[in-house]
Order: sequence, then C-alpha cells, then structure tokens
Amino acid sequence: MDTIRQDIRYALRMLWKHRFATFVCAGALALGMGANTAIFSMAEAFLRHPVPLDEVNRLLAVVDSKPRQNIEKTSVATATYLEWQEQALSFDRLGAYSWDGVNFTGDGTPQKIQDFRVTTNFFSTLGVQPHLGRDFLPEEGEPGKNQELILSYGLWERRYAADPKILGKVVKVDGRPFTIVGVMGKGFDFPMSAEAWLPMAFDAKQRVDRDDRPLWVIGHLRPGGSFEQAKAEILTIAQHQAAAYPDAYKDWQVRVLPLGEFATGDLTRQYTLLLLGAVGFVLLIACADVANVQFARVSGRQKELAVRAAMGATRGRIVRQLLIESVMLSLFGAALGIFLALWILSVILSHMPPDIARYIAGWKSIHLDFGAFLFTFGVALASGLLSGIAPSLMSSRTNISETLKESGRGASSGRARHRLRSVLVVAEISLSLVLLVGAGLLVKGFNALLTVNQQYRPESLLTLNLNLPELQYPQRSVRATFHDRLLQSLSSIPQVQSAALATTVPYGNGGGTDADRFLIEGRPVEQREESRTAIMETVSPNYFAVMSIGLRDGRVFTDSDGDSTQPVAVISRSLASRYFAGENPLGKKVQVAGSKPEVWLTVVGIVEDVRYNWIQKDALPTLYRPYRQNPTYYTTVVLRTDDNPAKFTSAVRSKIAAIDPDLPIYEVKPLNQVITESIVGISYVAAMMAGIGIIALVLATVGVYGVMSYSVSERTHEMGIRMAMGASQGAINRLVVGNGMLLTVIGIAIGLPLAFALARALSSLLFGVTASDPFAFIGLPLILGAVAFLASYLPARRAVRIDPLTALRYE
Amino acid sequence: MEPLIQFRSLEKSYDAGGSKFFVLRRINLAIQQGEFVTIMGPSGAGKSTLLSIIGMLDSAWTGEYYFLGEAVHQLNNKKRNELHKANIGFVFQSYHLIDNLTVFENLEVPLSYKNVPHKERVSLVCDALDRFHIVGKKDLFPNQLSGGQQQLVGVARAVILHPKLLLADEPTGNLHSAQGDEIMELFKKLNDGGTTIIQVTHSERNAAYGNRIVQLKDGWVVNESAAATVQSA
Ligand SMILES: Nc1ncnc2c1ncn2[C@@H]1O[C@H](COP(=O)(O)OP(=O)(O)O)[C@@H](O)[C@H]1O
Ligand SMILES: [Mg+2]
Repeated sequence: MDTIRQDIRYALRMLWKHRFATFVCAGALALGMGANTAIFSMAEAFLRHPVPLDEVNRLLAVVDSKPRQNIEKTSVATATYLEWQEQALSFDRLGAYSWDGVNFTGDGTPQKIQDFRVTTNFFSTLGVQPHLGRDFLPEEGEPGKNQELILSYGLWERRYAADPKILGKVVKVDGRPFTIVGVMGKGFDFPMSAEAWLPMAFDAKQRVDRDDRPLWVIGHLRPGGSFEQAKAEILTIAQHQAAAYPDAYKDWQVRVLPLGEFATGDLTRQYTLLLLGAVGFVLLIACADVANVQFARVSGRQKELAVRAAMGATRGRIVRQLLIESVMLSLFGAALGIFLALWILSVILSHMPPDIARYIAGWKSIHLDFGAFLFTFGVALASGLLSGIAPSLMSSRTNISETLKESGRGASSGRARHRLRSVLVVAEISLSLVLLVGAGLLVKGFNALLTVNQQYRPESLLTLNLNLPELQYPQRSVRATFHDRLLQSLSSIPQVQSAALATTVPYGNGGGTDADRFLIEGRPVEQREESRTAIMETVSPNYFAVMSIGLRDGRVFTDSDGDSTQPVAVISRSLASRYFAGENPLGKKVQVAGSKPEVWLTVVGIVEDVRYNWIQKDALPTLYRPYRQNPTYYTTVVLRTDDNPAKFTSAVRSKIAAIDPDLPIYEVKPLNQVITESIVGISYVAAMMAGIGIIALVLATVGVYGVMSYSVSERTHEMGIRMAMGASQGAINRLVVGNGMLLTVIGIAIGLPLAFALARALSSLLFGVTASDPFAFIGLPLILGAVAFLASYLPARRAVRIDPLTALRYE
Repeated sequence: MEPLIQFRSLEKSYDAGGSKFFVLRRINLAIQQGEFVTIMGPSGAGKSTLLSIIGMLDSAWTGEYYFLGEAVHQLNNKKRNELHKANIGFVFQSYHLIDNLTVFENLEVPLSYKNVPHKERVSLVCDALDRFHIVGKKDLFPNQLSGGQQQLVGVARAVILHPKLLLADEPTGNLHSAQGDEIMELFKKLNDGGTTIIQVTHSERNAAYGNRIVQLKDGWVVNESAAATVQSA
C-alpha cells in the first residue's frame, strides 16, 4: 500500500516533469474522447431511442419490402396484417396505423389536421395511456362505431386552449361528427408529427385485401419472447401467405425491425453513421498520439529503468510503476474529455431551432451517454497502457548491463521502436487526410446548396401560408376573387415590389413535396409500376418573375389566362425531358389524374427547374397551372420587398385581416429563414464534420511534431557525430524535415485513395458533392503537408542548434 | 613551410557564477605538417577542449588560430565548416558510430556531407573497408562489433577522405592494450603516409608512437618535449 502511494507520488512527479508531453497527451485524449462521446450520445438518441417510449426495446415494426424495386420499407396489406394478428404468438399485442389527413370543422376555424388511423390496441401496444380521458375501446374498431378521436397535447393546447372540459366535445371531422375521448401526454408524438388519432375499422372488402398496402404494423413482444423468435415466426407466416397467394406476394419480402431502427429516418441514419465513423477515426488518431507520447516517455527512460532493475526492482514493480503513470494520464485526459463532451452536446442542443427539433425523431432523448464515455475511455486507456508497457517489456528482455553501458544503447530495439512510431504517424496522416477530405467535401456541398438558392434572392422574400376554409369559400370563383384581391392589396404595401402565389415555394413545407400522377393525351395510362408523376403548382402569372425562374420555351402565364380561356399549363424542364424526350411538348395536352372536372391542359411553356429541398439530387418534374383556372384552398404567398422582409409581417397581417378577419395565416417567414430551417440538419452535419476535420488535423500535427521532436532528442548524439563529420546546419535541417516529410508523403499517398472512396460514397449522398474536387484532393493534402512541414521544421531547428561538444560528451 | 596549426594566446573560459573559469590559458603552440603530437595531462586539464577547438567544433574562444595560414578566428561558421570538412578527421574514445547505421553506412556519413557522387562514394567506402580489413563487417550494426572493431571503423571513417589532420581523443581508452596497439600501428602508418596526427592519451606507451608531447595542466601548457622512441616498430 505504502509503495503504491510512493509510486503514485513518483508518477505525478514524472507527469509534471514532462508536463508538455503530459498536456499534449491528455489534450489528445480529451479531444478524441470528447468528440466521440458527444457524437455517440447523439447517435444513441437517433439510432436507438428515436421514440420516447419506455417499452421501445420490446417493440418491433413489421414492414414489407420489394428489393427488386429498391423499396426498403413500406406498409402492408390489411389481410396480411389480420392474419399475423391471428397467428403470431410471439407478440402479446400487434397494432397498426395508417397515414391520414382530415379537416376539423364545426367548432371554430376550419383546420387541416395531421391525423393517423390506428387500431384500437395501438396505444396499449406502445404501452402508453392518454393524459386525459381514455384509450379506444375494442368495439370502437368496428365499422360504423368508430366515431371517437384522441387529440395530441399540442393540438389540444393550440386549438382548444388546453380546455380541461374537452372530453365529450363533438367535432366535425371531414363533415362527420366525432367525439373527443382523450388527450395524449405532452411530447407523445408517435407516429412523428401526429396531431390526432382516429380508430380504424375494416370492412368486409378490406379484410381480404392483399393488394392495397396501407398499414404500418407495430408489435409488442410477449414477456420472455425474443426479437429473433418473433422475426422467425413472422417470416414463417409470411412464407405460408406467399405460398397461398403467389400473385399478391410475388417479389415482396417481409422485414422485422426494432422500432427504434424503424422510426429513424434513413437520412438521419446515414449521416449519423457518417459522423460516427468520422469520430471513430478521430479516436484512432488520438490513440496513436497517446501511444507515441507514451512510447517516447518510456523509451527515454530506458536507463532509469535499467538502473532501477540493477537496484533490485522486479519486472512487476517496474511495469506497475509505468501502469500507474499511464492510468493517471488517461484519467486526466478523461476528466477533460467529459467536460468537452458536455460542452459539445450543449452547443449542439442549444443551436437547433425548437421548430425543427420537434421533427427530429430522438432529439429529445439526447443526453450524455455514459456508456459511450466509458467505451472511449476504455479504448484510450488500453492504447495508453499497451504503448506504455510494451517498450518496457521489450527492453527488460535485453541485458540490463547492456543498457547501462554507455556504448550499448540497445540499438536494435531502438530501430524497432522507431519503425513502430513511424507507422503510427503514417496511419495518423492518412486517417486525418480522409477526414479532412470528407469534411471539405461536405462543407463545399453545403455551400453549393446555399449558392443554388441564391438565384431566388431569398433575402428579400417574405412567404406565408393560408388555407381558405371550405365553408366560406366553396366556389371556385369566390376563391379566385379572394386571391385577386389579396394580390392587389398586398402589392400596394409600400416597398413591396410584387406579390405572387404558389402552392409550395422551394424549401417551404420543410422541403417536403407531394407528387401527383398525371396523364398525357394520346398515351396509354401508365403501368402500375412506372409512375408518371409531377409536383403540382398553382401559381400567379408573376410567380416566375418574382422567383427568377427562367423561361426556356413558349410563354409563362398572363393575366388573361382565366376561367373562360383555354386551360393551360407550364411544365418544368425536367418534366419536358423525362416525358417528352425528342418531342416538342408545346401544344401537347396533359391532365392531372383525378381532377374534377377532367380538363385537358395545353402546355404553353417550359421553365427552368426549381430545387425544392436538399435531399433530392435530381430536379423534380413540376407542372404549373394558373391560379384563376385552378383556385386552391391552400396557398403560399410570396412577397418581393425592398427591405428586410421580416419588417412587413404586421402590414401583411392587417391587409389580409381587412379582406377576411377570420382567416388564419401561418408560417410568416422570410424565405431565407425557411431555407435555413430546412437545411439546419445538413448544416449541423457539415459543421460537425468540419470540426472533426480540424481536430484530426490538430491531432495529426501533434503526432508528427511529437515523433520528430522525440526523434531529434533521441538522436542528439547522432546529430553531434554528424556535425563532427562535417554536416552543415542546412544538412541537419534537411535530414530532420526530410524524415518528417517522408512520413507525411507516405501517409498522404495511403490516405488519398481512401479519401477518394469516401468521396464517391458522399457524392451519392449529397447534392453538390463531386468525387473529383480539386480543393479536396489537391488543396487539402497540400495544407496537411504544409502543417506537417511546420511540425517537423520546429524540431529541426532544435536539431540545428545542437552543440556537438555537449552531444558528444559522455559522462 | 608554414605550420599546419598556429595558436597565439588562445584562451577559453566558462562563466562560473559571474566569474570566469578558465579551461585554456594563453596557449601559444605551432604544429607542423606531418607531425604526430600527443597531448597529455591530468583529467580536467583541458585536453578535449583543445582538441575540439583545433577541430573547429568549438568556436567560443578568444585569441588567434591559423590553420594553414588561414585566420580561423576571422571566419564565419560556414567557412569554418568548410575548412573542417576539407581537412580534418575525428576519432573518439567512445567511437561515436551511429547506432542505426551499418558499418558501410557509417563510413558513408562524412562523404554525404561533401557531395561525393554516389559511385565514387561506394568506391571510397570499399577502399576503406579493404584498407582496414573490415569488408566482412560492412553490413553489421555497431552493437554487433567488439570495441576494437568499432574503433577500427571509427578510424576508417575519420580518414576516408584522406584528411590532412587526424584528431583522436583517447582513441584507445576503452580498448584492451592489444587492440590499442593495433590502432596505434594504424596511426603510425597514416602518419608515415603524411597525415598529421594529434592525439590525447594517458598512456606513455601510446605517446611513444608520436614524435612530440605537449603537457597540459589546469589549462596551461606546462611542458613540451620530444617523445621517447617507439620500442617495438
Ligand atoms: N560546459 C562546461 N561548463 C563548465 N565547465 C566545463 C564545461 N565543459 C567542460 N568544462 C570544464 O573544462 C575543463 C576541461 O575539460 P576537458 O577539456 O574535458 O578536460 P580533459 O579532456 O583534459 O579531461 C574541466 O574542468 C571541465 O569541468
Ligand atoms: Mg577529455
């Protein structure tokens, strides 16, 4: 015990004596561990707890997939679900939901609600209870009896001012009366963004339907049941179904997923994995740094250790001494690392706008993941221990008296050590190059996103949404008149250049786009598999000018395109090239599928494509119609202003109130803000990758510096001899810098192909990233090389200043 | 003929807490080309220091130093380095071979600082290996050689460019007397071939190989004498 205390005291003294090395080592550890823990904690939240449910680990999703058409997960048919529910024994409950959307009327402003149809066991499957009122009853899942609904906490607050007497109230849902029987708890939003839940009932026809696939199926494992059992059972049932109805299930494949994995968006998943990989690299680089420093520390003490051995220290005692030093160093680094991780997490959490965080599955469950912290600590500790102890084990094999004799300097083990350290540095350089290139490409891609949007000059655009209630605006002509008055009134506001209408502006609606099918006159209705779809936009004639969307051919709409003139359409360039390849689309006729009345629209113009979000790499075909020929309920208003668009909010509100005081308007935001909010996720990834790249650069530089610096001090004697042999200062300088640069060049040569592979993967992930970016593949390696040059130049300057007299004096 | 080395009132001192601690005092000394000089004296007398100054490894001194008529005290570092490279070879008590280089590579080191082309370098090294009978050792590392063999390599390295002056600081200090004699014979042969040699030694026996002895004590030259003749030649 006493000797341990003595060892600790001595370890502290040694760490203090070499405080620069100690600080570098602990700093590298802290950076590696801090970044890793923070990203791990985020990944944990995104990948494993995206749904804030206690039972999340006992919940599964069962989905359909069709690999032949790259459909990875989709909902299942009613008959399929009902048979599973009947036959599967691995679950104690198997529920389902489907997407829906309804209008609430009859109790105040009509409102479009994002609701979900759910089986009556849906909430009990998830293991949740309403905050107010009750869950659905089993009989409420029968056709004709499903007249109840449960509100989300948010909708209850917004629409009903958190009225405590809400239960029993009747609301018209798409014209039919429903009774509110419950309100879910605050924060419960599964499926994501749900505002209300309505019971679903299957009629006789649906009960045997295997073609339409509306149901997302969620199962709760029976007590004692395992994921694997449940999966195997479902797959067996699915096989029987496929055998019995080969046509219905041809090419379809059932998949069973943990609910957490199911609920995470694919993009979130990909980017989270990307970040995880990147910080994994950082941890490796940090470990290499630690190993290098430890290595140097211990091998610089060969003589001391030999003397200790000569004084009778056992090998165990010596190893223990080194072990204690390593552990203390790692603890020091870990303490710094945990603060760093907490800080990074708080920065990440505090910069995400709450409006956006709401839609990120798992955001709320981000917190420091202690398991991740322990894991990174373990890795760092192991690397420190291994590198700290290995040299001492190596050297205790050689003769102690050899070490003590001034001429026997254990040269052969010195060579081996030197080679190992060089390998570590080469690995660090190549890993950090990969990270730098990855970060550079992401940042450039992100910038490209911003540049693309500059064409709209979003800084002077104000956008807002409004939704005309069906009751007050039942006729087309009434809506068209409203829009006419709206545009006139808004464009009369001073400093407003023009006002335009569109269904959805780029990046509006969170970047979400709905495509609808359309027909082309004279062509057969398309097969089931190939969809002929386009984004449907209803716009005012000046929309193209306001948004600077260029005309390629034909004409855009004019004020004379009205109800009594020929129905017309303008199509986007991508629609023209995809569906009218080799033809002139002008004069051709198209029809929006399911439109009433069925009108054929004559194509009169082709305009440039618009990018609706950053996710789609390719432009989306778009079909525009003039608002007077198709007056819609839901509209986005766009104002081009002479000033900061946010200043016009109140003027706009009062103008609209003057036309219809009861009309709610929402999402009144400058387009700049709309875009920023829409790309906040990817900007996070880009910023974090940039941070990770810089950390990697710093760590690799420290690595090169450490190794060159150590090598210079280890080679003081050699430098002295070389000077005595006539080496000039320049020659010594070149020797050291040349050594460092050789390692750097090898590292870059290994790193470049890896970086290129990464770039290929990234370019398929993100718009604007090209795999052949000169900045990434020439500029960044040059920067890395320059920094490494500096890192070896500083030790070289020290080498030059070596006094051969001192270096050669032995005593 | 002008002397190879001429000192006038050369002094060297260290700062010892404000006062000067003299290591060498008012040295006036001339050494002619072709001499084989032995410097002797008790430990701490300043022998190694004097040798380093002669070898131009040390430039912190006062006084005048002429090397072949060239005023060393007026030269800048670069010029001194050139003079050193062109004319002087060093042999050390603890050999000072570079641990991480083979015998062959160690011999190449001085050549690499004189821009000797590769082909010529190889032939010079091979000559030296031949001359000193160490061809069989050329791929070994220093720690794989005996002390005598290491010093043989050290001497070979020092004279590989046929320097005018060979400086040796206790070259046999770590060797058995038989090994020491071998090195001394070698020196004798080199001296007979025209190389000027200045050696530091404690051994009368080694001193006898030379033709002149300079005695140092506390930094002063206390005595100069001709060496006793070599008993066994
Ligand atoms: N860097 C130094 N600082 C102070 N004194 C020194 C230094 N180097 C050598 N000396 C002193 O100079 C004197 C001569 O040293 P040295 O030439 O090595 O003697 P020798 O080779 O004759 O034994 C010694 O007293 C030694 O202590
Ligand atoms: Mg000495």
